[in-house]
Amino acid sequence: MIEAEGVCLKYSDGTMALNNVDLHIESGETVYVTGPSGSGKTSLLKLFMGIEYPTDGKLTVLGQPIIRGQASGIRQLRRSIGPVFQDFRLVKGRTAIENVMLGARFLNMSNRKLKESAVSVLAKVGLEKKMFSMVEHLSWGECQRVAIARAIVRKPKLILADEPTGNLDKDNALNIMELFASLKDENTTVVITTHATHLLHDLGEGRLIHIENGIIHQERLG
Amino acid sequence: MKTASYIRKGWVDKVNTIINNIGYFIKEAKTTIKINLMSNILSILSIGLILFFAVATLSGWWMSSHVVEALENEAEINVYFKEDIDKDKIEYMIKNIEVIEGVEDVRLVDENEAYSRMEDILGKEAKVLEYLNENPFSPYIEVGIDLESIESIVEDLKNIEGVEQIRDNREILDKIRNIAALLETLGYIFIAAVGVSTLIIVSHIIRTGIYENREQINTLLLLGAPDGFIALPFILEGLILTLGGGLLASLMAFLSLKYVYSAMTGPLPFIPLPEFQSMGSNLIVIIMFFSAAFGILGSLFGLRSAGSQ
Repeated sequence: MIEAEGVCLKYSDGTMALNNVDLHIESGETVYVTGPSGSGKTSLLKLFMGIEYPTDGKLTVLGQPIIRGQASGIRQLRRSIGPVFQDFRLVKGRTAIENVMLGARFLNMSNRKLKESAVSVLAKVGLEKKMFSMVEHLSWGECQRVAIARAIVRKPKLILADEPTGNLDKDNALNIMELFASLKDENTTVVITTHATHLLHDLGEGRLIHIENGIIHQERLG
Repeated sequence: MKTASYIRKGWVDKVNTIINNIGYFIKEAKTTIKINLMSNILSILSIGLILFFAVATLSGWWMSSHVVEALENEAEINVYFKEDIDKDKIEYMIKNIEVIEGVEDVRLVDENEAYSRMEDILGKEAKVLEYLNENPFSPYIEVGIDLESIESIVEDLKNIEGVEQIRDNREILDKIRNIAALLETLGYIFIAAVGVSTLIIVSHIIRTGIYENREQINTLLLLGAPDGFIALPFILEGLILTLGGGLLASLMAFLSLKYVYSAMTGPLPFIPLPEFQSMGSNLIVIIMFFSAAFGILGSLFGLRSAGSQ
């Protein structure tokens, strides 16, 4: 699923975001990435999505090497990923359901099936009553849940979620984490960056990756 | 074999994606138009005016070409003879004319037929002839010719005894030919200019639309949307702009043609104009075809130049 060997990411300003990362993530695994702000969590997800390229080492995601000059392959790879961005990247002037549907419009799904799936995932994240609200009229936490719904509706092989519970209260955050964890049953691999370490032990299973100064330490939960 | 079926499946998927999302593409194009509504309305007006000028030149060229063609098809020379000449002499002249190389048909038009032809030519205005006390028209010999041989035929006719005056339509034909050639050249220049201006307007509007929607486009790119999926609403927007302009130009062209026809068929009924209905519908088809082509091309230019930046 994800193979990283000696991966380094150094930004043009000289910051070493990730240093010699070796990682192997299996299909269906749930991985929580923790660490202080600026430790390299988001950079790791950016590498997995092909937004950034390793400056050293070898990285393969879903069989696609993350290297420059592979734009078409990386675009194809992104269709198999359900991303939840830290800033949500929702499209303004559109309703919640339109935003969710946008995530899967080009994945060869019939309009009816797509709408049904969108309604179903919006219900899963507790937004069934707000599906026709414009995203500008939703709260921060609700926007976060729309972004999560947009990632899930794609039925992706890999979910990459950057701080998906950042602005949710404990109950909602736990619900979202449980929702992600339940995707294991569909053999979906989930990689979540989070500050909410206090929730992780309640979830039971999964792998914990702690990043500090670009270096990773791993432990198994449960 | 496997590769072929893979490629076929890829195309089927692309077509399915387009069909499934037609409503979405139209809605997105409408939203993009709404964001810059005033610019888009002004663009439609500009494109409409530009296309109208091109159409005006095109219809002028069309009409004059039609007149040239009609005159060429009816190439003839009218031979006037001395009034005191007797019937046998006229018969003799006709026989002499018939043997000239390039002459296809010879017949005598007497004064009554000349009068009635003028009545046909003048149409509604023929009543002016009633004010004349007597028939003012002279008989003449009408000579149908092969236009290529007109010079030698005129020379031969001059040598026939009894011929007083030879009237041919070479001068008029040359003048109309020159006008048609000028309008043809102008037509090409206009179409090229219209093409370039429309492409500039549309590509500029599309670039603006892309800029306004850059966040959405970036999100779509991060979600892995194919280029075609991102581009289609913008291509539709370009198409809507130029088709809107085309409709406007068609309406203006239709009204102008109607005016020109009614102005010309009254006082100038002898000018052989093309049939109004067919000319009007052909022009509209041409305008809409070029509008669509310019819309798609302009959008593609806009997308390409925005993409390269």
